[in-house]
Amino acid sequence: MRNPRTGWLLLSPTLIILLIFGFAPFLYVLFVGFNQWNVFSADDGLVFNGLDNFRRLVFDDDFLHSVGLTARFAIFAIGSEIILGFVLAQMLTRNFPGKSLFRIIHTLPLMVAPIAVGAIWRLLVIPGFGPVPFFLDRWFDLKYQIGSYPDQALWTSVIMDVWHWTPFVTLTMLAGLSAIPKEPVEQAKVDGASRFQVFWYVTLPFLRPVLLTTVFIRIMDAIRTVDEVWMLAGGGPGTRFTGIYIWRVVFPRTDYGYGSSISLITLYLTIVLCWLLFIAISGRRKGEVE
Amino acid sequence: MKKRFTFILVIAIALLANMSLVSADMHGWWAEAAAPYAGATIRGVSESTPPSNYVADVLAAQFTELTGINVEFETTSWDQMYSKAINDMEANTGIYDFVYIEQDIIYSYLAQDYLVNLTQFAADNPDLAYEGYDESAFTSFADYFKNADGDLFGVPMEAFVKVYLYRKDLFEDADIMAAFEEEYGYPLAPAENFDQYRDNAMFFTAYGENMDMDLWGTTVQGSTGHPASTYEFLESIGPSFGLYNWGINLDAGSAMSANGGALDGDTAVEALTFWLSMLPFAPPEATSSTWDEVASSFAAGRAAQGWVYGENAAWIATDESRSAVTGNVGVRLPVTAPGVIEAAEMGDGYIGYYDGGAFGVPHSSRNKEATLLWLQFIGQSSVQAEWAAAGARITHTATFDDPLIAEQDAKVDGYYTLLEEQGPLFAGAPPFPFHAQVREVIDPFIQRAILGELSPADALSQAAAAVDEELSRLGYGM
Repeated sequence: MRNPRTGWLLLSPTLIILLIFGFAPFLYVLFVGFNQWNVFSADDGLVFNGLDNFRRLVFDDDFLHSVGLTARFAIFAIGSEIILGFVLAQMLTRNFPGKSLFRIIHTLPLMVAPIAVGAIWRLLVIPGFGPVPFFLDRWFDLKYQIGSYPDQALWTSVIMDVWHWTPFVTLTMLAGLSAIPKEPVEQAKVDGASRFQVFWYVTLPFLRPVLLTTVFIRIMDAIRTVDEVWMLAGGGPGTRFTGIYIWRVVFPRTDYGYGSSISLITLYLTIVLCWLLFIAISGRRKGEVE
Repeated sequence: MKKRFTFILVIAIALLANMSLVSADMHGWWAEAAAPYAGATIRGVSESTPPSNYVADVLAAQFTELTGINVEFETTSWDQMYSKAINDMEANTGIYDFVYIEQDIIYSYLAQDYLVNLTQFAADNPDLAYEGYDESAFTSFADYFKNADGDLFGVPMEAFVKVYLYRKDLFEDADIMAAFEEEYGYPLAPAENFDQYRDNAMFFTAYGENMDMDLWGTTVQGSTGHPASTYEFLESIGPSFGLYNWGINLDAGSAMSANGGALDGDTAVEALTFWLSMLPFAPPEATSSTWDEVASSFAAGRAAQGWVYGENAAWIATDESRSAVTGNVGVRLPVTAPGVIEAAEMGDGYIGYYDGGAFGVPHSSRNKEATLLWLQFIGQSSVQAEWAAAGARITHTATFDDPLIAEQDAKVDGYYTLLEEQGPLFAGAPPFPFHAQVREVIDPFIQRAILGELSPADALSQAAAAVDEELSRLGYGM
């Protein structure tokens, strides 16, 4: 069993699947990204155009705007989810009446498909028919129209994402908190550390790997968000995130070359962002140890 | 007397026997022709509309019963329908055996040679040619799906115009009429010009507010997250002001006035300014409304008048389970600027969009023969009337004279008569092989104008420049 060949043999099905369904499409997107290819153009074949697609996106206001919107969405959504998820996880480490029921209800949104989440929220917030605009108008005289106010559409998307994904953060944080040994915490308390000091100097360092993984997963999810927001607002102003912009370029516009180049840049930005985050968090831990 | 009765009875029995024989013959033909394909499953995709839903719910089952060929018909959203169909045809995967071809996309599909020439295919397979199916029975709308040789590439399944609907219960209410006349100095009536339209819209919005009713003066298909807003402007409002072909001069390859286009011209700006000025008088859902929501808003009684796709006219006027305004729906031609109707009558323009679509067979289909039978089934005259009554669509000339349609016509305030007599004033989309590509480019500017981020003139000026850039990129520009 220790023969490396056996290991590779056992891994081979997974590797083959990854190569076929992961790496090969990536290479294809990479290839298309350096071509002009629109099936509805006068010349509908692939025409190599070097870096033109990448040059074009630097001057594409719609793309740059979508990046800015996505960044705002990701920062507010993920920030809220991490804080709320941590608080709820802390709460779930203690006993209180109805804890089991709460945990079940709290986890339910995770089981709903994103497209259904978008549809549910659309029914809730669509002006004229949804209960949210109705009651905001009736109780607070507040005009809530996601089709008319881009900021309202953005914030609604953030709240919807928080509703959907906070349970995921709660579960990962709960796993992280459960894995923290009791001794360092008790030792810190004996030494007179305040609750904040215990959290900052003991709990948080132990949680860092879980936190990092959770943030990475949520960043990648947030940057490629399409279906929920698409159902909610159709990707109009305020919600035309990068994922939706790519969808529009690739499908209705059938501009496969340009769409591929935007996808590649988005992937690159995601990797860079995660790497910077990793450096920032792991670097601080190194400093603390020293 | 007894002899006469006996004679009539004999004639009636003979006629019934003859009909049942003909019916049995027809049944036999379908079963015989379909025998090699019995048990096969053909798959199609379309937008979820009243006519498509009738196909899915009624016609598919009838066809399967006759032939043993199963029909899996997917009715989905407009965006998804296009994505699925185009991806399938482009990748040649053969998932779909028939796809919905909206009139405006046919030129793109033909340019890419996605579709089977149905006329030729039927001629090549005479055993599959059903005698009850006749291409010449279609209205002139079928011409949009023909090539230069007159060969058909799609069997028309729906055709309708976007009309002006108004609520008769409001427009014919004595107290309301008096109040309107007192305020505006002339009688309340369905709008015949844009000033009157604006007055009606303002009046009913104020009326709704004063009476604490959920009532507004007009519909606006103004979704800021969907191309529906661009379509309402380019295909309904623009033409009614005299802006044709989206303001794009195909010969010049430009949308800019400076190069022979008209998208940034005075007429376009006037049209967009008027349309945007209607937003304050539209229900709050207007900026989230596609064609479906507009129909729903009108059916819910939330708008006194508006531009509504004709495919919805029948159910809004007659289906009490879905509409709150049944029996109170008035139908008229949409309002136009001076000279526009005259130009349309002369063949120099059109007043609005003649919408509709057909089912075509992609080259990638694996079941072309079975699908040809299916398309002939839905294209035969005998299924048209009930389909037209359910979906307010007419694709056969003879359907207009069917007693069922005459009866329905009265309930829908003469919509079918309007379609027959004044349909020629409307026109399909311009023959652009780059339809969706250019529309996608225009969308953000119209949406920003709706939000008030751009003035009508700026929005159209920037849109025209972006269109020219896209046309150039696609190889159709200057």
